[in-house]
Amino acid sequence: MQFEAISIEGLSHRFLSRTRPPTTALTDVTCRFPAGKVTSIVGPSGCGKSTLLLIMRGLVKASQGDVKFLYGNGAGALTPGDAPRMATVWQSFNLLPWRTVVDNVAFGMELQGVSKAERREKAMDAIKSVELSGFENHYPGQLSGGMKQRVGLARGMVMSPDILFLDEPFGALDAQTRLYLQEQLSSLVEKSAKTVILITHSIEEAIFLGDHVVVMTARPGKIAASLDVDLPRPRGIDVQNDKRFGELFSEIYGLLRDEVRKSMMN
Amino acid sequence: MTDVNRSIAFQAEKPASPPQADERLRDDTWWYGPVAMACFLVFWEVSVMFGSIPELFLPRPSVVVVTLYDLFATKGLVYDLGLTLYRIFGGFFLAAFVGIGLGLLMGMSKRIYAIADIFVAALYPVPKIALVPLLVIWLGTGNSFQIALSALGCIFPILVNTIIGVRQCDEGLILAARDLGANTVQIQRKVVLPAAIPAIFGGLRLALGISIILVVAAEMQTARYGLGAKLQAAGQVLETGQVFAILLLLAVLGILLTKGQDRLGGLVNRWRAN
Ligand SMILES: Nc1ncnc2c1ncn2[C@@H]1O[C@H](COP(=O)(O)OP(=O)(O)OP(=O)(O)O)[C@@H](O)[C@H]1O
Ligand SMILES: [Mg+2]
Repeated sequence: MQFEAISIEGLSHRFLSRTRPPTTALTDVTCRFPAGKVTSIVGPSGCGKSTLLLIMRGLVKASQGDVKFLYGNGAGALTPGDAPRMATVWQSFNLLPWRTVVDNVAFGMELQGVSKAERREKAMDAIKSVELSGFENHYPGQLSGGMKQRVGLARGMVMSPDILFLDEPFGALDAQTRLYLQEQLSSLVEKSAKTVILITHSIEEAIFLGDHVVVMTARPGKIAASLDVDLPRPRGIDVQNDKRFGELFSEIYGLLRDEVRKSMMN
Repeated sequence: MTDVNRSIAFQAEKPASPPQADERLRDDTWWYGPVAMACFLVFWEVSVMFGSIPELFLPRPSVVVVTLYDLFATKGLVYDLGLTLYRIFGGFFLAAFVGIGLGLLMGMSKRIYAIADIFVAALYPVPKIALVPLLVIWLGTGNSFQIALSALGCIFPILVNTIIGVRQCDEGLILAARDLGANTVQIQRKVVLPAAIPAIFGGLRLALGISIILVVAAEMQTARYGLGAKLQAAGQVLETGQVFAILLLLAVLGILLTKGQDRLGGLVNRWRAN
């Protein structure tokens, strides 16, 4: 049995509140995220991207509809099954402030009961891969926003999950670091054939890293369009000069502009 | 070109020097307090000496210290001190145990909170000293009465602060822990409890002060031994020197306990990380 896709059908979510009318974050989202690919999600701020991630990750129960993990039997038939191993890199970092960088990165392994020496070694490697060597024993409060974000990245990646959820993982980084880590992620994904769901505000990033780009509407979020990124891999950063890249950019930008305008008006 | 930028970006972030405490970060105000206190005592000593204030009314600090020494040497004040400390800490630790435990349960479970909250709300505002007659009827005037009174006074600040600490825990941290595979027990032990530690410590701090106040006050009313009892006895026979000596002892006790708690806070912070 091979994991083939995350499938979402007719999913809606409303946040209930005792003092305010409920907030509808998602309505009737239907979408499929193929395994072994990177699917980028773009959409206006507040359209429900993070909420969709929480629901896919199984941390929030949708008010309607649900998430299925589809497995293939090799003959084309798909059957829903258990969730594969997943890890999340958070938009708001969510690092434990009383733990040092290395203890934060090793937290997941600690929960699994991995021995201290082993988890420390793996955590150190992960810290190195996000260029934070020398900061192992700092506390999150002593790091800049971009450094915290990289700790979050290391913490998620070190779990080597089947599905990696990235919520705006490069948002707090400067242009150079962002480029560097994007390239790293790109080659990692090409090598490991991981399933990645990437939420981003950057259209360039969505195209550069994605095999597909899902564009969401303004709140309440729906899927406005789903595009295939038919650019060859491996991709270097110069893929941005490709004519096809420009076409995709304009198309997504056009879709988003309408949605942003709508979200500003209501 | 990007390569150049990249190396600049990362080099700038490497810590410049090996991890070493910087000279400038040393606390250079630590002696202000002790010096201020010494000045105050000298002023007191001198003004009593030259102001011809009768000793019965206000003894000199040096006399107070000598009296305190006498009390220890000839009147067995160690026993009273030990007894008072036993009562203070007996009640305090009992309250800490119950208060933190119940507070964690109340903070984590809506149902337990719903049941226990009305009892807390009813008992919290009762002045604990008003419970003395009832406790004496139930427990007599011995140690168990003192400890019960102290525990009753201590439990509420600890309980309330623990609940607040648990509730303040950032929802995102719990989500992150669940994402990494934490089960319920692990979430409580490794996320919620450490997140609540500063608030719990605030509660313990308040509670220890309350415990001292209650035990000494109760000893003054009912006990034969203990610092409060000795204080009361000295006051009744106008031994002003002894009164001051015991007050001095209580003040020193206060300082030691406060500083000790600061130390303990540091230790607990280290424990939090595991
Ligand atoms: N815990 C919550 N309780 C109530 N409402 C919420 C909660 N979380 C999100 N919302 C609401 O749901 C909507 C979608 O939020 P979400 O965080 O999913 O947006 P987003 O697309 O990730 O935005 P951004 O791009 O700014 O991160 C928002 O209108 C928000 O107010
Ligand atoms: Mg978001």
